[in-house]
Formats: sequence, structure tokens, C-alpha cells
Amino acid sequence: MKPDVAQVLADLAGRVARNAAPQIPPAQRAGELGLSAMLLGLAAEMWDGAAEILVQENAALRALLASGARVSQDNARRRWLVELAGSRDGSLRLSALQNANAELRVALIALHAELERRDDAEARSLEADIWRELVAGAERRRLAGSPI
Amino acid sequence: MEEAELTTRLAGYIAGQMPQARDVAITDVARITGGASRQTYRFTLSWTEADGVARRRGLILRRDPADSLIDTERRVEFEAYRAFHGTGVPVPEMLWLEEGGEALGSPFFVAEEIAGFQAGPGVLWSAPYLETHAILGAQKWEILGKIARADPAERGLTAALPSVKADDCWRRELDHWEEVLDADESEPLPIIRAAIRHLRAAPPPPAQKVGVVHGDYRTGNFLYDDQGGVHGILDWEMCHLGDPLEDLGWSFNPVWYFGRGMPGGLLPRETAIAVWEQASGLRADPKALKWWELFACVKGQAIWVSSARAWLDGANRDPILVYPAWALINAQDRAALHVMGRL
Repeated sequence: MKPDVAQVLADLAGRVARNAAPQIPPAQRAGELGLSAMLLGLAAEMWDGAAEILVQENAALRALLASGARVSQDNARRRWLVELAGSRDGSLRLSALQNANAELRVALIALHAELERRDDAEARSLEADIWRELVAGAERRRLAGSPI
Repeated sequence: MEEAELTTRLAGYIAGQMPQARDVAITDVARITGGASRQTYRFTLSWTEADGVARRRGLILRRDPADSLIDTERRVEFEAYRAFHGTGVPVPEMLWLEEGGEALGSPFFVAEEIAGFQAGPGVLWSAPYLETHAILGAQKWEILGKIARADPAERGLTAALPSVKADDCWRRELDHWEEVLDADESEPLPIIRAAIRHLRAAPPPPAQKVGVVHGDYRTGNFLYDDQGGVHGILDWEMCHLGDPLEDLGWSFNPVWYFGRGMPGGLLPRETAIAVWEQASGLRADPKALKWWELFACVKGQAIWVSSARAWLDGANRDPILVYPAWALINAQDRAALHVMGRL
């Protein structure tokens, strides 16, 4: 999730402190604190599950990329996929998990696009697996107040 | 700029626009929170006419912030409002436009305030508004149909807005919003990238007409009362010429379902289409509309990631920019999956 929760919380801390000053117009204070409260609520919801979601998603993406390494018809891409599929989450810091997730997603996009251009059963099957994971990932990241 | 300075400079500016008036003064300045693309203030203008009659009027100031959620020209929004004022599409009267930064530090316009109505969708889901959804929804899509029916040349908009050919509407919009994604995304988006590939592989037919596209027509961008009446269509900053189905598709974006399982949280999809077709005189071809609905997911995602980018780059740390990034990027992914029939 971007912007990072830690960055936003630091910014909100300053904002809340500024709004404690008596000269802030009431309407402005109400608007800023209302928005800040909404973001704090979202942060609270995302924070607890963020690491687990990223670890699960990174594992699922590595499994898809490993399959992609077997199926891809592009030699350079195969080597790239093998390398990424063999990587591990060495740190449970959200920033490290997010960086790894971004790398894996870039590779997934490239693999997905290649499979869409093909018509063989192997490609169709892996493409279906990718869609299943994309749906599962969207479900994992769903917030309680999601409009859909 | 502090509010006191803004008030002084705005009063000076307006006095210059009303040379016949004396005692021009501004009071009750209040920032309206919630807008991510412009800073909006309401205020009361008072003055004395040359014949000695004292007058007061509620007005709105819309000013560009340091970094906006949506990069658009102030004139586009001003001209769009002006084009529909006095027609069956309710909009506030536009008064003054300044495209430079001399007067208030950044471009702005001043408009009539349409007071006494709701704008935010928050109160719509409880009494007394809950009972008005059928009427309000019918009004909403009827007015959108009237926008679609309008002749851009008759409304004076062909001079203000870039032209586009009927068979190029989809490509221009998709190219633009994909470029925004390329420039602004801070995390790769596999679902939206798949949606873009899908859209390019199966483009829609040429637009039935090149019409006026509001660009952000949704629940939350119009003023309404507790009887289901609509009194002002707002937020025209993304107005452009294009395929009228684009607006219909955007109004059906599932992120505007508000958890109620229907467009805008107001009307069943087929009912809204029937109202729009009746008012516009156009047909909502199901395949073409589906294309524009999926496009709306791409456009929405581009706007949400731009919001994150504006905050991350530090030019604008308004918390309103964080909300779409946190609350809507996943919802927009889910919306795209829904439109593609995968969720």
C-alpha cells in the first residue's frame, strides 16, 4: 500500500498537533481532523494484516512464476522467472516485503501478457491460474468498508 | 496563503471586477473540505450599488492547489459550466476566471453558490434520502442524457475543448490514462494492466456522436435535496469532447456502488440505461458500454495512483490525497474484476 502507513501516520501526527492550536478556524479543524480520523481507521485495519497478506501473496506469485519459467517461450524471460521464483522474503519489514512484491508483480504482468498471446493448452491453463491468484489477491487486500 | 490574506486579496480582485460597486467586502470565508483536485471556499460578498442599494450574494471560490489530484486547465471547467448555465442541466453561474497567479497565487474562478443542498453521498443511505433514490436516480441519469444530447458547437464548447474523431474517442482516452498510470503508479497493477490489454484487443465501435463528456459524473458530484431533486452538476474539470457512453460507463463504475450493489447506489443498471437512452436519444450498445465500463476502471485507477503520487512527491501533503490511494485502489481492482466477469 502506498503511501506507506508509517509515513502517513507521521504526517497525521503533525497535522493533529497543528490543529490543536486555538487559532485554527473550526470548519478547517473539523475537516482536517475528520479526514485524519478516517485515515487512522484505515491504517488500523491495514496494519495488522499487511505483513501476512504480502507474505502469502509473494509465495503465490513465486509459485506462478515457477510455473511460468517452465511454460514461457522466451529464454530471457525464463531465466528471469527462475531467478524470481527462487527468491525468498528475507525480511518481514513491510518495506522489504513490498519491494519484493513489486518485483514479482512486474514479472507476473510480463508473463500474463505472453500467455494471452498464445493459444496452447499449457498457456491457457497457467493464465487461468494467474486470474485465480489475481482474484484471491484482491480478496485478501479487501477493506471492510469496500464499496464493492 | 493564509485565509486572512486570501480574503483581502480576493476582495481586492472582486472590487476590480465591479468598478460600479462601492464597499465591496468579503465575509464568512469557509473552506469546503473533501475536494482533492481544487481548493474550494464558500464566502459572502457584500457591496453597494451605484444607486446606493446594498446587496449580498453567496459565492464559491475554486482555486488550484500546489499539486492537484487531476491535472486540468481551469478554463475547461469554467467554460463547461458556462456552456450549460440556463439549460436543462443545472449548474451554478460562472462569474470570473483568472488563469494566472497574480491575484491569488494560482488560477481560480468565482461562481454563484447554490446553497441549501447536499453534495456528499454520506447522508444518502439513511432517512429521509433513502426513500428518494428512485426519483434521484432518474434525475441523475436524465440529466446525464441531456449532457449527451447537447450539441458541443451550439454550447460553444468546440472552441474550448480539443476536437476528436468519432472513431478515435476510445484510443485518445485510453492512451491518456495509460500514460498517467505509467508516470504515476508506485506499485505494479497486474489487474489493471490486463484490463488495458483487453481494451486494446477489443475496441468499441466509433462513437454515435462526438458529444460533451462531463468526465466525472457520479453520485457525490451533484447537489440534491430530500425530495430527489438535483440542483447542480459539479466538478466539470475533466470535461472533454468524446463518446457520450464514456460518462455512462463512468457513472456505472462499481466503486460508486457504495456497497449497495447498483450504479451510484441509486438505480438498477437497466433502469439507469433506459432513462439515459430516453433523455439522450442515443443507444447504449451493450458491448460498447461494457468497454467504457472497463475503461472507467482504468481511468479510476489512474486517478487513485496519481493521488498517491502527488502525496509521495511531497508537493501536496493533504490527507485527502491518501484516502483514494488506500481505500480505492483495491476497490478499483475488484471493480475491474467484476466488470470482466471474474469476481
